[in-house]
Amino acid sequence: MDLDTDVPMEDVSEEQQQSLNQSFDQGSSTAAGGANTSANGATGSGSHKTELNPSSISQLDGWLDKLSKCEPLSEEDVKKLCDMAIDVLQFEENVQPVQVPVTICGDVHGQFHDLMELFKIGGPCPDTNYLFMGDYVDRGYYSVETVSYLVCMKVRFPNRITILRGNHESRQITQVYGFYDECLRKYGSATVWKLFTDLFDYFPITALVDNKVFCLHGGLSPMIETIDQVRELNRIQEVPHEGPMCDLLWSDPDDRGGWGISPRGAGFTFGQDISEQFNHTNDLSLIARAHQLVMEGYSWSHQESVVTIFSAPNYCYRCGNQAAIMEVDEQHNRQFLQYDPSVRPGEPTVTRKTPDYFL
Amino acid sequence: MISPLQRHDKLVRATDLDALSCRFNANQRGYFIPPDKYIPEMIRSYQKHLPFCQGYTNLSVNRTLRAAFQEPKLPLINRGTYFRTKSIDIVLDDFISQHENKCQIVSLGSGSDTRAFRTLEKYPDSGVIYHEIDFPESTKIKRAAIVNNSEIMKLIKSGDLIENVAVSSREEFESLKSDFHTSVYHLYGLDLRKLTSSSVEFPHVDPTLPTIIISECVLCYLTPEENVQILSYWTDMFTSSCPTATMAFLIYEPMSLNDSFGKTMVKNLSGRGITLPTFEKFPDLDSRKQFYTGFGFNNANVTDLSVIGGYEKEGQSWITKEEFNRISSLELVDEVEEIKLLLRHYCLIFTGIGQNIRNVNLFNKDG
Repeated sequence: MDLDTDVPMEDVSEEQQQSLNQSFDQGSSTAAGGANTSANGATGSGSHKTELNPSSISQLDGWLDKLSKCEPLSEEDVKKLCDMAIDVLQFEENVQPVQVPVTICGDVHGQFHDLMELFKIGGPCPDTNYLFMGDYVDRGYYSVETVSYLVCMKVRFPNRITILRGNHESRQITQVYGFYDECLRKYGSATVWKLFTDLFDYFPITALVDNKVFCLHGGLSPMIETIDQVRELNRIQEVPHEGPMCDLLWSDPDDRGGWGISPRGAGFTFGQDISEQFNHTNDLSLIARAHQLVMEGYSWSHQESVVTIFSAPNYCYRCGNQAAIMEVDEQHNRQFLQYDPSVRPGEPTVTRKTPDYFL
Repeated sequence: MISPLQRHDKLVRATDLDALSCRFNANQRGYFIPPDKYIPEMIRSYQKHLPFCQGYTNLSVNRTLRAAFQEPKLPLINRGTYFRTKSIDIVLDDFISQHENKCQIVSLGSGSDTRAFRTLEKYPDSGVIYHEIDFPESTKIKRAAIVNNSEIMKLIKSGDLIENVAVSSREEFESLKSDFHTSVYHLYGLDLRKLTSSSVEFPHVDPTLPTIIISECVLCYLTPEENVQILSYWTDMFTSSCPTATMAFLIYEPMSLNDSFGKTMVKNLSGRGITLPTFEKFPDLDSRKQFYTGFGFNNANVTDLSVIGGYEKEGQSWITKEEFNRISSLELVDEVEEIKLLLRHYCLIFTGIGQNIRNVNLFNKDG
């Protein structure tokens, strides 16, 4: 179990100290962790939090150990994990407060080995705090392992990692784009798919970093002017086909001003005027979102009032793009870290099915 | 054992299975109107005959067909397949109507493509004559599909005497006929690389008839020299017998654009043993335009499939709004940037000799 590099040994001794701090976090004692620990008391969701008991911790560490080798959990363990995750996620808010420093990440899409690369580039969790903006499943070949790993991390280190919902964390989309088929292939039934898609309903839909950076998967909605309006939504449901919750997960910034019809068939496009107004109204410095493939891994729009972050390098093993994550430090300085697909020595690439082209 | 060259040819031929499985999926999804009813016959013929083709065993046939047909294609692949099929159909229809239904279509490396049958169905009892050329192995599979299907036999005016081709060994497959000729349809089994000015003749091709030659992802697998050789072969055939001949080339194939997507494509395809020898030499529309005009063609109308699909400027789209709405309602395309990126790497080129090749409006829409 201790072989797992993502779960450092000093974690265990850290726990006592943490609980003294009235914190329910099991993070370790790095500089980043220290900064975060003091902030944890202020993670003011006012919600009920259950402390993990030692047997849960060892179970989670065991699962993380297995998952970090890209081995899926048993169906039974997925059931336990999802139950534990609901206990954590149901008390998170629609606008989940997050403290700096934090590293903000975009789409992962089942590219498990690239997720491991991400943690190498950004630093291991829980030493580094992470905020993921959705789209863990579909497209890549390891959606099961990817989402299991992230959910496991979430339950293990609830205050160190935030996982938002993307438009792919949905029953409908996963049936078209691969997660459903992958579950069938790996488990022989749709049970695991059902467990995870039921869990997705509890994922928070947005996060607010230090009251200044509004993070979500897609973008703005013509029906949402203030962040308080997001707080009023009932998020515990399948992603609707329209309406504010749908828009938050589907919309895209656009060069054209105002609201536009989205070519995706869901959500809207929004112009710079809309972003600036929203940031002004809500006293924000930035909207950080994911959802769109950007070749450099990140891309500014609307004169730096919106940033797109995409964390799946060589998306679908076909697009040739770089990936990126954005670090935000205590002073709100931002730094982008770009990376390429992970190289897996000794693993022949030909065993993987070549992505489709028009031939 | 098969030689490296034979293996290479086998892998190139296998790209026809990709194309067929893409058309199969898009058709299943309802992209084509009217639906393509000839696809299942082509698949059946592959199932029957692939085990006797070079480089296959019963085991590898199952694996190959499963890989091609079992998993549904992503919506962006279906949509791209639709744009590819539709845009070629549009140029073809335009060419046919311009020549008042009196013309020839020559399809190079046509594989299991069903356009010949769809076209002859659309223009019955007209002056449209369709020629298809491919490796003998591929045309044997096609011929077996044709003679097994009374509907196709009627279309190509071969009566409805269906022939039941039953093959149980490599030798029997080898001995199948690879050619087929009727008054409106001609199938030739030969290697395109053998087309040099003197060696092969097509007695059924009439050089005085306006002709459009289609290469749908075919010339891209050949070297620049072989490309020139093939273009020269057809150009010489037409110009030598008819100085005012109209001979158009319609080419659809991938481009590298010298970017990371193109480099990834090279890497991924080379993992399957497929090379694109003209990829580097003609990376984009400009270099291709230069090549075809430099070759002596009147003009080269060039565009890419992202423009055709309306992803660059809506006004440049070849697809009507109603039609676009129809295909959009078939399945949700979750990612616009990705489909745009993919489609930008496929070109459509209309070039050749004769009066009507100048500037084709479709390719030059302002948007």
